[in-house]
Amino acid sequence: MKEFKHVIADPLGMHARPAGMLVKAVAGYASKVTVTAPTGTADAKRLMALMRLAAKQGMELTVTVDGADEEKAAAELQAFLAANL
Amino acid sequence: MGLFSKLFGKAEEINPNHIYAPMAGQAVALSEVPDPTFSEGLMGNGIAIQPTDGKVCAPFNGTVDMMFDTGHAVSLVSDSGIELLIHVGLETVGLNGAPFKVKVKSGDKVKKGQTLMEADLEAIKAAGLPTITPVLVCNCDDYPTFNATIGKAVSNADVVIEVAK
Repeated sequence: MKEFKHVIADPLGMHARPAGMLVKAVAGYASKVTVTAPTGTADAKRLMALMRLAAKQGMELTVTVDGADEEKAAAELQAFLAANL
Repeated sequence: MGLFSKLFGKAEEINPNHIYAPMAGQAVALSEVPDPTFSEGLMGNGIAIQPTDGKVCAPFNGTVDMMFDTGHAVSLVSDSGIELLIHVGLETVGLNGAPFKVKVKSGDKVKKGQTLMEADLEAIKAAGLPTITPVLVCNCDDYPTFNATIGKAVSNADVVIEVAK
């Protein structure tokens, strides 16, 4: 299992667009990806669950990646979040 | 059911596979939404409504899953498990709630037709943003059968999406 942290930089937080883009990014991996915010935990393959986190700018997300391609997925998702959220 | 219970019955009977139009307007294909996040279907399958009225109503009996605190979008889960996102206009998250009068909150049980919010369509247009409203089934993978109504004027009395497992 791989784990990394990301602090939300987007002033609008985890709204529909970044959540949707994250779901799309995660869909390409076999690994299970879980996002934990101070407000809860979400399966990153489920848009509704991600939006329910209502994660705001400045909140720290902990992302865990567990599965066959976890090494690659964690590195790429970390870069994705840095660029998009 | 008898005529009187039909006329005076306390709760409208809803087909659990039906999604009614949350807004009055023209139902169009999702591919007509000028925003790839929605039109490419990555957030779910559905339709879009080009609204003629800003009132957003519950499209089925269910629960408000998440009313965004900016009021521009709301997700709901029907009593039968359909996960639906209604996103009023495009890029409207940036309006910080100003054009949206929210009438329900996350966790509220709602009945089909109940007002969820009132959007000021003129204010959205004045801000230079499209009012076209994507209506998306987020768990569409659970429903192999998915029929959408597009290309006609609809209101909250019309079914716009019908799904089946």
